[in-house]
Amino acid sequence: MIHGFACLALAAFLTGSISGPVLAQAVYVVSQEGGTLTPVAPPGAAIPVGKGPAQAAAGPDGRLYLAHPDTHTISVVEGAPGRVVARLPFAGQPFGIAVARDGRSLFVGDWSGHRVVRLSSTTGAVEGSVAVGRDPAGLVLDGRGRIYVADRESRQVSVVDTATMTRVGTVPVGEGPFALALNPAQDRLYVANVRSGDLHAVDTATLAVVARAVLGGMPYGVAVSDDGARILVTNQQAGTLVVLDAALSPVATIPVGRYPEGVAVSHDRAYVANWFSDSVSVVDLATLAETGRLPVGEGPRGLAILSPSKEAP
Amino acid sequence: MRFIASTAFLASLAAAVLVMPASAHGPTPQKIDQTVTIAAKPEAVWKVVGNFAGINTWHPDVAKSEAVDGNAAGGRRKITLKNGGTLDEGLDEMNDKGFSYSYRLSDPDLKALPVSSYSSTLTVTPDGDGSKVEWLARFYRGDTGNEPPEELSDEAGRKAMNAYFANGLKGLKAKVEGSKGK
Repeated sequence: MIHGFACLALAAFLTGSISGPVLAQAVYVVSQEGGTLTPVAPPGAAIPVGKGPAQAAAGPDGRLYLAHPDTHTISVVEGAPGRVVARLPFAGQPFGIAVARDGRSLFVGDWSGHRVVRLSSTTGAVEGSVAVGRDPAGLVLDGRGRIYVADRESRQVSVVDTATMTRVGTVPVGEGPFALALNPAQDRLYVANVRSGDLHAVDTATLAVVARAVLGGMPYGVAVSDDGARILVTNQQAGTLVVLDAALSPVATIPVGRYPEGVAVSHDRAYVANWFSDSVSVVDLATLAETGRLPVGEGPRGLAILSPSKEAP
Repeated sequence: MRFIASTAFLASLAAAVLVMPASAHGPTPQKIDQTVTIAAKPEAVWKVVGNFAGINTWHPDVAKSEAVDGNAAGGRRKITLKNGGTLDEGLDEMNDKGFSYSYRLSDPDLKALPVSSYSSTLTVTPDGDGSKVEWLARFYRGDTGNEPPEELSDEAGRKAMNAYFANGLKGLKAKVEGSKGK
């Protein structure tokens, strides 16, 4: 265990993704109906955060930022004491969200405004904006400062350079792209398409689709294991977590709760938000079996992983 | 001036109502979960409900239902409701042995149900000497924008979906229990 931990810390250090000592990560889930943020690993009491949080992102400073699409709000939560410390106004319908590496800016997809907005993480002041496709859903930020956003109703992923806030490319994918995940090397972007029931792998250097897996049902969430060897996809219709290898060949199908949505990986475990069941499934990535199911607030959707070791420069 | 402003507002509202449901799924899903117990074996219930396109034989709100591409994943049913609205639904999974299927709405018709999209699962399980039928769904309101009109709100969607599911399960129960011994 200690050995594995040290290896992870070393790997993280070498890839430059984390500076400073690696402490245990904390996993959180947002519940849209319940209006809560619940710590699931280590487990803790649900934190009331206000109406309708849908997605969350962790900053480098122990803070989490939650998008509330129906109330034009981003809430800022201090992870450790577990309380809302600020509410930022957002002129639009915030959904996908990411935090700049230095923690100073947020990148937020405006679902009905068809754009991505950059704003100050302390004041909420708008710092820039860029038009993307229709109904931007999942949004991820890479280490180079590029944002990938799933334009759900445009069957594409938009690629945005955050330094200039311009769109530098689009990648045609399946129907209804919703969730996105980068592998740790950040040379592959995985795109889960809700309506066409498939998963695309995009080469981030060429922005070309290099592989596609037909899954059926409704793939609603995607995550990648720390070693990049396993791609985890929730199938909302089937109530399963589908595990693929890096070539997108099927490895396992793991039953979880009803209508699973978000999935996140923290070290050797995956966490799945079961939207209908109001629970989070804990999946052991070594045995590929569900090892526990934690009750959380009603309607869990997005997950976020807080790494307390990250520090703002 | 006031008249012009409100006309413009109404026009934009009308445009939003017309455009949004067809193009957007929106970010606030809602839950429907209903069950009914039926005094018949699961096999007997499945014989009625397991034919996806046969919903017109048991759902009192359905005027007609047309099968497209069979009773398996990829198959569809085109429902015409008694209120004149239509529902085009596609099967994602058909578990004939497990007495369960999952399907979703293809294109919304706000005249049929004030929702922009849904996915749904119906399952028949044993319950004592009889059966339990569970019908659940995840849906989005008719207008997924931030300020939906009342008739396209989450509440309106819940009301309509709950009524549609309740009427259906009531009809299914009556059909299966009524046909026993005939």
